[in-house]
Amino acid sequence: MPSSDRPMIRLEGLRKVFFTDEMETHALSGIHLEIDSGDYVSISGPSGCGKSTLLAILGLLDSPTEGDYWLNGHPVAELSPIERARIRNREVGFIFQSFNLIGDLTVFENVELPLIYRGLPREERKRNAREALDRVDLSHRATNRPAQLSGGQQQRVAVARALAGRPSILLADEPTGNLDSVNGEAVMELLDDLHKEGATICIVTHDARYARHADRVINLFDGQVVEEIPKAAAAAN
Amino acid sequence: MDNFLQDLRYGARALIKNPGFASVAVIALALGIGANTAIFSVVNAVLLRPLPYQNPDQLVMVWETSLARGLERNPASPVNYADWREQKQIFDHIAGWWYPQINLTDDYGEPERVRTIDVTDEFFSVFGVQPLLGRTFLQGEDRRDAEPVVVLSYNLWQRRFGGDASIVGKAIRLDGTPYSVIGIMPAGFSFPEDIEVWRPLGWDPTQHSRNARFFDVVARLKPDVTIERAQAEMTALARRFEKEYPQSNTDWGVTLVGLHDQIVGRVRPALLVLLGAVGFVLLIACANVANLLLVRAGAREKEVAIRMALGAGRFRLIRQFLTESVLLAMLGGALGLALAFLGGRLLMAINPIDIPRADEAGIDLRILGFTLAVSLLTGLIFGIVPALQFSRPDLNSTLKEGGRESRAGSSGRRIRSALVVSEIALALMLLVGAGLLLKSFFRLQGVNPGLNPANVLTLNLQLPFSNYSDWRQVSNFYAQLTDRIEALPGVTSADVTGFLPLESGWRLRFAIPDRPPTPPGEELVAQYHQVSPGYFRTLGIRLLAGRELTDHETADSPGVVIINEAMARRYFPDEDPVGKRLTSSVRSIGPLARYLPATIEYEIVGIAGNVKNDGLGRAVEEAIYFSHRQFPYRSMSLVIRTNASPLSLLGAVRDEIWAMDKALPVSDVKTMEELLADSMAESRFSTLLLGLFAALALVLASVGIYGVLSYSVAQRKHEIGIRMALGAGQGDILKMVVGQGLVLVAIGLVTGAAAAFGVTRLIRTLLYEVSATDTETFVIVSLLLGAVATLASYIPARRATKVDPMVALRCE
Ligand SMILES: Nc1ncnc2c1ncn2[C@@H]1O[C@H](COP(=O)(O)OP(=O)(O)OP(=O)(O)O)[C@@H](O)[C@H]1O
Ligand SMILES: [Mg+2]
Repeated sequence: MPSSDRPMIRLEGLRKVFFTDEMETHALSGIHLEIDSGDYVSISGPSGCGKSTLLAILGLLDSPTEGDYWLNGHPVAELSPIERARIRNREVGFIFQSFNLIGDLTVFENVELPLIYRGLPREERKRNAREALDRVDLSHRATNRPAQLSGGQQQRVAVARALAGRPSILLADEPTGNLDSVNGEAVMELLDDLHKEGATICIVTHDARYARHADRVINLFDGQVVEEIPKAAAAAN
Repeated sequence: MDNFLQDLRYGARALIKNPGFASVAVIALALGIGANTAIFSVVNAVLLRPLPYQNPDQLVMVWETSLARGLERNPASPVNYADWREQKQIFDHIAGWWYPQINLTDDYGEPERVRTIDVTDEFFSVFGVQPLLGRTFLQGEDRRDAEPVVVLSYNLWQRRFGGDASIVGKAIRLDGTPYSVIGIMPAGFSFPEDIEVWRPLGWDPTQHSRNARFFDVVARLKPDVTIERAQAEMTALARRFEKEYPQSNTDWGVTLVGLHDQIVGRVRPALLVLLGAVGFVLLIACANVANLLLVRAGAREKEVAIRMALGAGRFRLIRQFLTESVLLAMLGGALGLALAFLGGRLLMAINPIDIPRADEAGIDLRILGFTLAVSLLTGLIFGIVPALQFSRPDLNSTLKEGGRESRAGSSGRRIRSALVVSEIALALMLLVGAGLLLKSFFRLQGVNPGLNPANVLTLNLQLPFSNYSDWRQVSNFYAQLTDRIEALPGVTSADVTGFLPLESGWRLRFAIPDRPPTPPGEELVAQYHQVSPGYFRTLGIRLLAGRELTDHETADSPGVVIINEAMARRYFPDEDPVGKRLTSSVRSIGPLARYLPATIEYEIVGIAGNVKNDGLGRAVEEAIYFSHRQFPYRSMSLVIRTNASPLSLLGAVRDEIWAMDKALPVSDVKTMEELLADSMAESRFSTLLLGLFAALALVLASVGIYGVLSYSVAQRKHEIGIRMALGAGQGDILKMVVGQGLVLVAIGLVTGAAAAFGVTRLIRTLLYEVSATDTETFVIVSLLLGAVATLASYIPARRATKVDPMVALRCE
C-alpha cells in the first residue's frame, strides 16, 4: 500500500554479517537509505562491497542481521515466511545477472510463472504474460526454450517476467553483466521506459554508463553508503 | 586378469570412499537376495531335490477315480489292488496299506499312540530302501497266519528305545499283542508321512468287498515303462473291470500320480507364487540400486569425460562400472545368504504348517550356487543401465551442456523416473496379491463352522481290540467315561464322536428303501459320524427338525439317525425327511466291518444344522449321524464343553480316563478353537509370507521414490531458489515436488494395476471367495501405496521448502 507521505523503502542501521568457518564477513555495516515511489536508484561500488547483499535484503530474499527495514511503512522483520513470499511475488520484480530462466519451461511459461504463484485466473494470467512479452518484443519466441535464445533475448525475457506481475519495485542485480554493450543498452532502455511509466527501480551496476540512467547513484564501500550523487551531478561527472 | 584386478581395486576403493551409498545399496540387495535365497532353499528342498528313494521317478501312487462321484484320488479297493498286483508288465513292485490306529504299550514308557500302517509284503521293495538294522518284510509275511513282526522308524527307535540296537529281535506290544521287532529304518524314511511303525497287513486283500475303498497303493514302474504307458494300460484294465464287476466298478477308473507330484503338488502353487514374489522384491531392490548408481554416475561425469578424452575405450569403462556393481551385488549376496539362513531358521521355528519335505531345507551347494548366480545377475541388471548411460561417447554435448543440465540430469532423470515407475508397479502387484490373500483369509475366518468352538476340549482315544473285542464293551466304555467326565467340576457336558468337525470323515453307501434302487455307479454316499446323544448340544450344533438321539437307543432297539441339512436338501428336497428310512451296509467300510452288523434299516429322527466337515473353505458334504451305541467305533474323539479354560481340565479328564483303563494313551489333545485355527494355517502362512514380501516391496519402493525426489531436489536447488525469489510460497514448492512424485506414483499405479490384473490369475487357486480381480482390493491397495509414496515424497519436498532463495543470486 504505497503512500506519498512515507518513503516506499526505509532502511535504518542495517547490518549484515556472514558467519563462515570461524570468520565473520561484515557485508553491510550500517546502511541508512530511503527510496521513494518512482525513484530510479543505481547502486555502485567495488566488488565485494555488499551491493548484492543489499539488493537481496531489499527483495526479501535475505534478512538483515541487525537494523530495521520498513517497506511501505511496515516493519519487514515482523513478516511471516508466507507474507514474505507474497510480497516477493506481488511487490517485487527481480532481474538477475545470470537471467535465471528455468530451462524446462518455455519463454511464455517463464513469464507466466510469478502470476501462477499469485493465483491469477488463467485468462488474466495469459493476457498479462502476453503483454509483458510484447513489451520486450519477444512475442514471436513465446514457445521457445530459454536455451534457444541469445543472452540479450534471455535477459529481456527475464525483464518481461519481472514486470508481468506489475510490481511496485523492480530490483536488478547487474542485469547487463552478461551482455554485450548493444544488448546491455537495449535492456537499460527498457528500464528507462518503465521508469517513465512510473516504476520504482533499483539497479546494481558498476558500469558508469548505465548508472547514468538513474536519478540517484549510491556508492557503497565496505558495506557502507559513502556517497550519493543526484542525477544531475552524475550526468555532469 | 590384470585389468580385472585393477577394476576390482578401483571398485573397492570407490565403495569405501562412499560408505553411505555402499551400505544402503548392500542392505537393499541383501534383503532382495536374502528373500530369494530363503524361498529358493524351500523350493529346492520341496520341489527340486529328488525323493530319497531309489530311482524315485519310477514311483507312482495308484488311485481309483470316479469323476461322476467327484472323487479324483480315492483309495483303492484291496480286491482291485490284488488284481493290479498281477500286472507284472507294468509294475516291478506294488504295495498297499491302510491306517489302523494302534496303541503302543511296553516296558519302556507311558502307553502312547504311534503312527502305524499295515502294509503288504512288497512295501519296502517298492522304495528300494535298506533298513538301518535287521531286515524288512519277507514275501508272504503279510498273511493272516504269519508271525507277528514290525519294523520301526529311526525316530521311534531313538525316542522310545534310546537307539538301543538290541531292540531288534525283542518284542513290543501293540494294542496288547506282542510283535517282534525285525528291523529299524534309516533316519528320514517315514513313508507315507511320519510313520513310526510298519506292520504286515495280516489279512487277505481278496477277502473284501470290491466296494470298500480304503487301501492306499504305491508302486514302482518297470524301468522301461513310462507313467503315460502305465496309465493307458491301467485305464484299459479299469474299463475291463467295469464290465466284469458292474456292481462295484461302474464309473471307477484308475489314476497314476508320480510320487513326487503327489507329495508336493499341493504346495507347489503357493511356493511358486512366493518365488515370483521374491523375484519382484529383488527387481525392486535392483531398480533402487541402479538409481543410486545413476546418481553417483552423475557426480562422476566429469571424471569419466576426462578419462574418455584421455582415450579410455567405451568397453573398458562399461567393464569398470560393471565390476563395481557386481562387487556390490556380491556383498549384498553374502549378507543376503546370512539373512536367508536366519530367516529360514525363524520360519522353521514358527513351524507354521507342514510343508512336506521342508524340514530337509538348508544351505547346500545348490543354494550357494543359486545365490551366487542371482547376485551376479543382479549386479549385471542394475549395473548395465548406468554403465551404458554413462559411457555414451557424446563428449561434445557433455561440454556444451555444462555442469548443470548435464546428461545425468536430463536423460538420466528420465531413466530414474522410469525405474521408480516400475518399482511402484511391481510393489503394487505384490500388494494386490497380498491383499487378495488377506481378504481370502478374513473370508475364511468369517466362515461359520456351524458350531460354537469356544471352551471345548477335544482328545482322541483308541480302545485296543485285545481288551475290547466286544463292541458293546466299546460303547459302554465311552458312555461311562462321558458320564464320569461330566461329573467333573468345570465340565458342562462331555460327548464322543467318530470324526471331529473339519476332519473329513469316512463315507458309506446308503439307500432309501422307499425309492427305486439306484443303478451301479450312482450309489448314494454320505459321510458318517458316530456320536453320543448330547453331541449336538455340547458343540452347539443346531437341531433344525425332529429330535435328538437318546440314551435309550441301543444295539437292540430299532436304528435311528440324524442327517445334516445338506443331506436333507439333496435327498429330500420336497418332503420332510423326519420319519423316512435309510438302509446302509456297513460292511462296505473296511476291515472294521467284520465287527459290525450287516445291512440295517435306520429311521431319520432329526435334522442337524450343517457343520463344516471338509474344511472351512469347502462346501459341506452330506452326513449321517449314527448313535455310537448302534454303530460303535474303537477310535473316538471326546468333545468336552467346559466353563473354564479347556486345557486346564486336561489333567482331571486324563485321570478319569486312566481310572477306567491305565493303559490307554490320550492323543491329539486340542481345543476346538485350535482345530479351527489349524485348518486355516496354510492360508495364514501364505498370507503372512506374501504380506511380508509385499511390505518389503512397499518399503523399497518408498525408498526408491524418496531417493529420486531427494536427488531431484538437490539438483534443482537453484531452480527452486529462483521460484522462491519469484514469490513461490512453501506450499507452492511442496506441491511441486510432491506433485512430481505423485505423477510417477500414478503412472506406476496404473501400470501395476494393469499388470496385476493379468497376473493375479496365477494365485486364483489360493483364494477363497475372492475374485482375482477384486475391485475393492485393487482400490484399497492402490490408495495405501499412493499414501505411503506421497509420504515418501513429502520428506524431500519439505527439504525443498528449506532452500534459501539466495541461491538464485549466485551463479555457480
Ligand atoms: N552467503 C555468504 N556467506 C559468506 N559471505 C558472503 C556471503 N554472501 C556474500 N558474502 C560476502 O559478503 C561480502 C559482500 O558480498 P556481495 O555479494 O554483496 O558483494 P558485491 O558487492 O555484490 O560484489 P560483486 O560486485 O563482486 O558482485 C563479500 O565479502 C562476500 O564474500
Ligand atoms: Mg554482486
